[in-house]
Amino acid sequence: MHKVAALAQHKEVMLSFRPVAHGKAVVLNDSFYVKGHERIVVETLRFYISGIRLLQSDSLVWQESGSYHLYDLEEAKGIALRVPASVAYNHIRFYIGIDSLTNVSGAMGGELDPVKGMYWTWQSGYINFKAEGRSSASSHPKKEFQLHLGGYESPHNALRQITLSVEPQSDIEVYFDLQQFLETAELAKRSHLMSPGPEAVKLSVMASRCFKTKQQ
Amino acid sequence: MKKLTLGIVALGVMAGFTVPGAFFEKPPGWPEPVYAFARNKPDPEKIRLGRVLFYDPALSENNQISCASCHSPFSAFAHTDHALSHGIRDSIGTRNAPALMNLAWQPVFMWDGAINNLDMQALAPITHRAEMGSSMQSVVGKLRASLLYRRLFKEAFGDSLATGEHTLKALSQFMLSLTSAQSKYDRMKRGEEAFNEQEQKGYSLFQKHCASCHAEPLFTTHAFANNGLPVDPLLKDYGRMQISHQPGDSLRFKIPTLRNIAYTYPYMHDGRFKKLSQVLDHYAGGIRPGATLAAELQTKMELSSNDKVDLIAFLMTLSDQEFVFNKAHGFPKELMKTQ
Repeated sequence: MHKVAALAQHKEVMLSFRPVAHGKAVVLNDSFYVKGHERIVVETLRFYISGIRLLQSDSLVWQESGSYHLYDLEEAKGIALRVPASVAYNHIRFYIGIDSLTNVSGAMGGELDPVKGMYWTWQSGYINFKAEGRSSASSHPKKEFQLHLGGYESPHNALRQITLSVEPQSDIEVYFDLQQFLETAELAKRSHLMSPGPEAVKLSVMASRCFKTKQQ
Repeated sequence: MKKLTLGIVALGVMAGFTVPGAFFEKPPGWPEPVYAFARNKPDPEKIRLGRVLFYDPALSENNQISCASCHSPFSAFAHTDHALSHGIRDSIGTRNAPALMNLAWQPVFMWDGAINNLDMQALAPITHRAEMGSSMQSVVGKLRASLLYRRLFKEAFGDSLATGEHTLKALSQFMLSLTSAQSKYDRMKRGEEAFNEQEQKGYSLFQKHCASCHAEPLFTTHAFANNGLPVDPLLKDYGRMQISHQPGDSLRFKIPTLRNIAYTYPYMHDGRFKKLSQVLDHYAGGIRPGATLAAELQTKMELSSNDKVDLIAFLMTLSDQEFVFNKAHGFPKELMKTQ
């Protein structure tokens, strides 16, 4: 009886991530244009979301424990947050990527298992964010692009924290403006990036600015 | 992430935890190991699984190359006679396969320190196109389809379904079990055996000229150093700088242990020296000056030809036959033939 009562005091808040281009949902392997003329086909879009917190204005009101999730456009599913039913919130805060402690702590399971393909093999560290596909502007012979963003060691820590306004006490939809990201990323200049460093940090900052909600 | 949370809890519970005897033992007088055993407690079933994985060519893309192909027990888990590592379809890498022992004390891995945890080390050779050319997804797929591995994973982790995490942790368990501390040097230190005059002279020379980087009892400080080797014009390998991007790390490579050095020829990160005498000739007369040259090598090391012979006699006392011929570390034929 006690347990049922405890359960009754919680509710599920659905957190969904929705990649968009020109205000429309991005579909895997479909094309869209950036800068008017650069044709893009996205074949992979995956990123880690970690350390999810809810805030009421500037005050922390709830944080998820063991908060590590992998978003994958190929099999996008929402994240069910189990929060106390009474909690009032109007902001969400989360990281894109994996914290440095987890990066140095050896083999992990679940979403953090290296079989997920989000771990570098030649140099230790999680790939925080991965976007792959084709761009008509790429200098690669097959017009491919591959952006693998990560790196946990100072001064090139690519982990980014994001805080967004949300509709109070409601399910949360976070949009990722892929069009904006690819326009600022300038694939014509750099179609492949697969190692930590200043470039990975720069692109991670750009990507972090492309997460938005309707309440902003 | 439940696992990590449990690991941290376990760490608290096991305050004062000493690594148990039969499978992982801290030799007396050695420092505390740096591997986080609390997250991967020594366990005979896991070591056994790791041992089978270590000797299994299924970890490579075309089932040709196992970890043991380049890390043979008979050469203290190095690759005798091969200057550079070998991989699938006769591909050749750019560095010498290092000996594997006493890895619980090693903080970072690879000649350039690219790998930050023993658990993650195996990912590099498994996926490198000039080594095993596979992927963790492919390896785990093969393991899940194997009746032998379903049984071994069940016995080791209580779950027959292989995962990347369990595969890597089992490999760590086997590698952590490779402790070498039964050489003549170790017996001398324990007062069980005495050095002869030549070995004793060599030991004094070692302490004077070598011990600041190859510090006892592990015979390495685990630091990185430029030991004055000229750059190979074809390999153009600048070592640690390629990972850290710091100019001060140019030509710095991991200081390797000297334990079992008689078994682990050829020497240096690119296997350029076949004999120990060549190594000593390098230190005594071949040092190439440079901005990042180790401070210890700035003044010329004066070694007579007698000194070199004595030093080599001492280095031979670091050979651990018990380690090299230990059947518990060898090919697990009792398990592999059932596959």
